[in-house]
Amino acid sequence: MSQLKISENGERFCQDVFDTMMQQSDAVYGVLISTVDGHDVTRKFKRDMPSAKLAAMFSSVLALGETIAREADQALCRYVIVENSDGYILTLKLKEKLVLSVIATTDANLGILHSICRSAADKLSKNLR
Amino acid sequence: MSEIKLIITGTPGAGKTTAIAAISETPPVRTDTATTDDLAEVKDVTTVAMDFGELTLDDGQKVFLYGTPGQQRFEFMWKILVQGGLGLIILVDCSRPDPLADLDMYLENFADFIHQTGVVVGVTRRDQSATPSLDEFYERLEAWGRVFPVFEVDVRQKDDVSLMISALISTLEFATA
Repeated sequence: MSQLKISENGERFCQDVFDTMMQQSDAVYGVLISTVDGHDVTRKFKRDMPSAKLAAMFSSVLALGETIAREADQALCRYVIVENSDGYILTLKLKEKLVLSVIATTDANLGILHSICRSAADKLSKNLR
Repeated sequence: MSEIKLIITGTPGAGKTTAIAAISETPPVRTDTATTDDLAEVKDVTTVAMDFGELTLDDGQKVFLYGTPGQQRFEFMWKILVQGGLGLIILVDCSRPDPLADLDMYLENFADFIHQTGVVVGVTRRDQSATPSLDEFYERLEAWGRVFPVFEVDVRQKDDVSLMISALISTLEFATA
């Protein structure tokens, strides 16, 4: 099956951005870029996690977030945040067809995590075609 | 039964979203996103979480219709969506290379749900392929030890979708009688 791929340079750039995110907060232990229709594109995980399954799930959760926002007469879903007893998962749209997801422990401050994600998303959006 | 939850599944492009849009009394809830893989040759968008629609039967019963994503990578959504469901419609797209294998895949993946509920099979895109015959679908179901109604349907037509839903509800009522 042909899937959306990024170039070698693009891959290196993504890994640099992921490294920066993890340096900015030790709590971040997973960053994944996937497509809006649920394919894994690139990732950096400090723990073993099923990236293909997560990619599909992030696609579903973001689409549900966008749909719920529409049904509630609200515009533009910026993030979907899953707050758990032992961590946070932030998912946001990256350009038209990509999704950026960040997985962190509760050691992260949610505000800082937002800021790290937003900044990474801006960099990635500018550099990924 | 005053409210019934039915699930519609089937391959990407089989017409799940279209079927719900054809019959829902309220604007259907969709979770379509752009396709980025081979499916883009066939359709621009695909369902990645669920579709939802509702209708009211003549006796006042409400039917809630949930459409699943078609791709197997969204199998986790199938398991979520069947919870509390009373019946399953499997749409099989005859324009695909092996519709009977597609039917097998859904019979296998929804086996637990099928075991406790009723099923109707809708054969779609007949205008593009006259095969397999309905007999072949019945034979394949028989090989699974199943006897389910099979209909040729045009999911764009409200009457066709209504026929599948009526058949499914009749099957459920017969099973509980």
